[in-house]
Order: sequence, then C-alpha cells, then structure tokens
Amino acid sequence: MIMKKFWCLCLAVAALPAGFAAFGQTPEERGLEIAIAMDERDSGWRYFSADMEMILRNRAGRESRRRITNRQFEVDGDGDKSLSLFREPRDVAGTAMLTFAHGLEPDDQWLYLPAIKRVKRISTRNKSGPFMGSEIAYEDIGSPEVKKYSYRYLGDEPCGQYECYKLERHPQYEGSGYTRHISWVDKAEYRLIRIEFYDRKDALLKTMDFIGYNEYPGGYWRADRFEVTNHQTGKSTTLLWRNYDFETELHEKDFNHNALKRLR
Amino acid sequence: MVPDIARGMTRGRMFRALLGAAALAFHALSFAGEVAVSVAMELELQAFVSNPAGSGRHDDNFAVSLEPDFRGDFDDGNTLWRFVPFGRWDSRDPERRHGDIREMYLLHVMDDWEFLAGVSKVFWGVAESRHLVDIINQTDHLEGIDGEDKLGQPMLSVGRSFGQSTLTFYVLPGFRERAFLSADSPLSLPFAVSDDPLYESGKGRDHMDFAVRFSGYRDVLDYGVSWFRGTSREAGFVPGMDGRLRPFYPQIEQFGLDLQITTESWLWKFEAIRRTFGHRAAGDDFTAAVGGFEYSFYGLRDGLFDLGLLAELHYDSRDDSGTILFQDDVFLGMRFGFTDVEGTEILAGTVIDLKDGSQSLRVEGSRRMFNNARLGLEAQSFFNVDPGNASYGLRNSDYALLSLKWYF
Repeated sequence: MIMKKFWCLCLAVAALPAGFAAFGQTPEERGLEIAIAMDERDSGWRYFSADMEMILRNRAGRESRRRITNRQFEVDGDGDKSLSLFREPRDVAGTAMLTFAHGLEPDDQWLYLPAIKRVKRISTRNKSGPFMGSEIAYEDIGSPEVKKYSYRYLGDEPCGQYECYKLERHPQYEGSGYTRHISWVDKAEYRLIRIEFYDRKDALLKTMDFIGYNEYPGGYWRADRFEVTNHQTGKSTTLLWRNYDFETELHEKDFNHNALKRLR
Repeated sequence: MVPDIARGMTRGRMFRALLGAAALAFHALSFAGEVAVSVAMELELQAFVSNPAGSGRHDDNFAVSLEPDFRGDFDDGNTLWRFVPFGRWDSRDPERRHGDIREMYLLHVMDDWEFLAGVSKVFWGVAESRHLVDIINQTDHLEGIDGEDKLGQPMLSVGRSFGQSTLTFYVLPGFRERAFLSADSPLSLPFAVSDDPLYESGKGRDHMDFAVRFSGYRDVLDYGVSWFRGTSREAGFVPGMDGRLRPFYPQIEQFGLDLQITTESWLWKFEAIRRTFGHRAAGDDFTAAVGGFEYSFYGLRDGLFDLGLLAELHYDSRDDSGTILFQDDVFLGMRFGFTDVEGTEILAGTVIDLKDGSQSLRVEGSRRMFNNARLGLEAQSFFNVDPGNASYGLRNSDYALLSLKWYF
C-alpha cells in the first residue's frame, strides 16, 4: 500500500513541468526528483558482471585483500538479483551468495558453503555490519532503490572537476547504521562522486569517493575505484572494479540455487 | 594406503564402468580448456585429556591431509568437470591412513536441466546439531565425529529447475561402507568392529539405490521433501564368528521433510524422517525429528561481534537411549562471529539428554592466518554420562584438536 502511494507520488513529481517545478518545489521534492533522474540514468542495463578487489587497511597501514566476482540482473519493479563468488582470501574461496533485493522489504539471501556443499538461507537483518571485515557495510552495497531513502536537496556545489548537486538521504529501511548520507552527484551524468555517512549519533563516520568513471555500452557509467575512509577508526578500504561486462548475456533463471553451486 | 573407494567397491560393476568412463573423460579433458587447481593441506594435532589409566588407548596423535581440487569446463561452460582426491596420514591410527575420491564428475547444464555422472557429494537439510534428512553420502567418521565429513558417492542424477523449485532424481550404484576407527582410538566404538560387513540385500554393496528430492522456496519459507530407497548408510551390528561385531546394512525406505522460515533475526528450522524396513528382523520402523531456532544479535559491543543463539530439540520414536545418540535431547549453542579482518568464529554448544542428564560440550573456533590459512581449535567433553546412554563409550574421550589448514 505504502509502495503504491509512493509510486503515485513519483509519477506526479516526474510529470510536473520543469519550469513550474523549479519555482514551486520544496527541497524534499527537488531531492526526490534528482534521485529519480539518477535511477533513470542507470536503468535498463539488464545485466552485467564485474570483478571486485577489496584492499583493507588498518590504522597502522597493514593490508589484506579480498577478491569477489559479481553477476547482477536487473528486475523491473523490484530490487536486483545478484550472484557473488568469493575468490580470496583462499580459505573462503568457492563460497557464494545469491541475493534477491526487495527495496524496503527484507532481501532474500542464500549462502553456499563449498566444503559441505550446503546452501543455507541466511538473515539479511544485519544491514549495518561490516562486509568481510572491511569499512563497507552490507547496506552500502545493496541494490540502490529510490524508495529506500527520503531525500532533501541541499544546493549546488563544485566537487573536484565536476559541478554537483548536494543531496541529503535518510534511510527508510529498518536496521540502518546511519541517520543520513550527504552525497554529491554530478549534474551532467548524474554520477555519485562522493558520499559522507553519518552514524546513529549523527557524527561523521566515513567518506566514500568514486574515482575513475568509465562509460560502458548503453551509456552506463561505472567508477573503477571506490575509496572508503573511516574517520572514527582511521581504517580504510579501497574497492577496485575490473572486467565490467555489460554484453555477455545473463539469464534471470540462472540466478538460482543450482547456479550458486556451480559458479566458478 | 588403499583408497576406500577401491577397497569398498571393486565388485561394483556399474561403478567401475562409471569410473572408467569418467577417467577417460578426464584424460580427454586435460587437453581441452583451462584447468583451475587449488590445494588444501591440513596439519592436525589431537590431544586426549582424560584417558582411563591402563586402558592401552593412545593419548595423542598427529595427522596431515591433502585435498587437491581440479576443475574445468568446456562446451561454452555448459559442461563442467571436477576431480577432488583426498588423502590423510595419521601418526597412530592405521585406519585413518586412507584416501578417498571426494568428487569426480561431469556436470552438463541444458536450459533448466542438470545432468551429473560420477562421484559427488549432496547435502540436504537445515538443522545444525544433527543432519537427519541428509542421506546420499556415507559419513566419514575417520575425519571427525561431527558427521560433517562425507565420502564421495557414485551417482547419476538428473535435475529439473522450475524457477523457485527443483526436482532431482538420483540413481546410486555402489554403496560406500562406513569406516570405523581402530579399536585403540579413544573415539572408537566400545567394541571391536569386523571389516567384513553383512548386507540384507543379496547384491551386497552392489545394490542399486534410488532417491528423489523436491526443494525450493516461497517467500520466507525454504522447503525440501525427499525419498530414498536402498541400503542404509547407518550400520547396525551383529555378532561375528571371530568375536568382533559385524556391521549390518539393512534395506530401508526413508521419507524426509525439511523446512526453514527466515524472518528478520530469526531462523526457524525443522527436519523429520520416517524410516521403514523391509523386514521386521532388520529393524523397527521409526520416526525422528529435530526442530529449533537460531536468533541473531548484530553489532554487539560497538560492532565487535555478532551473536547467534541456537536451540534445537531432538525426537526419536525408538525408545532406546542406549544406542541412539539423539533420542530425547536438547541442543543449546552460541555462535560468535567477530567482525575482524581475520574472520574469527566461535561456536560453542551442548547436547543434554533430557531423560538421564548425560551431557556433551563442544567448542569450535577458527581464525584466518597468513592471509591464506585457517587456524582451528576444537574441544569436546562428555560429562554426567549415564551408563545406559549411547555416548557412554565416549565418556573418557575428552579431547582438544588444533589444526592449521593452508589453501594454495
């Protein structure tokens, strides 16, 4: 019911004539409008795969690495489906995860444990927990749905080489570790350039910078490096993305338990 | 070191044919496509703490095991193959100096169909403290007493996926015998076991077994319904000519049901089986079940760790606590998952017999080391063990096990 209402609101906002919108809009309406434009810019890719490397650094600068292969499938009217295969560290190599994201509703998630060949349904309640010991929380890498946040437009600001919208987002799903994020979105291509995360006490927790954007077939932009710095612990995580592939066809029916067991 | 698979099944014509075909295929494959290789090597030090004086049982041992894993694919990734041999050497127990083929199969995927031929492992079920519906593979008791290690099972399987559910048929030629530890191992059965098993079926270990499973999910529910007919993986015992007990494998039919409901921080789990015997003399029909929950707290102590609380109740319609471990018992456990870079985990659990108060306690912990190794510590203790309880023979088998497993 809530979802339906929300989509009605979206349509209403999207239908507003641009000139009228600029005058009569509240910062919340303008914020939502930007979020919808971002979502539209990054819709229609249907599927892609990519390799991710994570470099975790503690305060003393000691590093450890993680490697994961991701496959993603876009679902109309619901969250995306994804398959992740863990490759490093070697003691968890072969472990795989299947996720059906559902926006505000809890996601469905299964974990495959290769040593005993067991597929286990797991809870997705742990939104704010760290992903593989990194500075990235599970909620930071979830399917980005418009309805997961409420928005507020804070103004225009230059950000590095870009001219950006400054946008505040408040998580609407349960179990978030944040009160809000402030993001900078470039005006030309609606790409995320930077996000500041504020913890439950509203203190600045971490910053995520998106570096090295490339355009892929279909006009989709992806950054090949995320830099995450935790300002409270001094730890940091670098995410390197390689082998983005929007062209090799993936099928929705392959995002299932059987595929989870034979990923390689 | 005689591979179990050869020792246990040389008489299985079907299996031999399968093995031959697979070997040929692997030979051909090694020239086609890329082969991914990884190797796991484990060092293990086991110390027994409470040995009865003068029992003649050894009190510690050292073991090393090797498990290479070869895999590849061809035919545009639609046909996959895998070969996983396993070998262990043990300083004390000759029974633990053994080898096995854990996996050796060809898997072909065609639209919604999956065809597998060869040796493989299949896991069914949801419960943590007892794997009740899981029946395809023989348990490898030589590796550990928790029942998580399995012997490779020769099989032909056909699976059909229907989106949110899957139907799979299994043909299982060639039975794998249960292996037992040497009589002087503290974890062995309290009697000498003959290595000449007895089968109810005239075909012995060549009896052809069948199984079917339908499993899937709907919303918060994951379900599985299974059926098996063939040689029981669990052995009974009958007196042998030489004074030792002979393992006896009856013919059984078993229906299984497993359910899990996942909501927010709760996982609700249930497994049940109904096992029937062809002849009353071979065993009494029975029903067994396990059910319980796991509840998780996340980000405790400023995000230092997550804590899962587990409780499972066991039921078995056979009124004989002397031979059945999980007859009327409760399992209580705690799972600590630390959020550190080393992925430290601790699982502590106890099983209490609700009738006679016999209790076992088990703690398992592990953490990553040197980026590609895992250090493990496991300890188990039995106390208040009632002389009438099935675990009475293990009452003096408290042990600690330190292991280091490298992955290359």
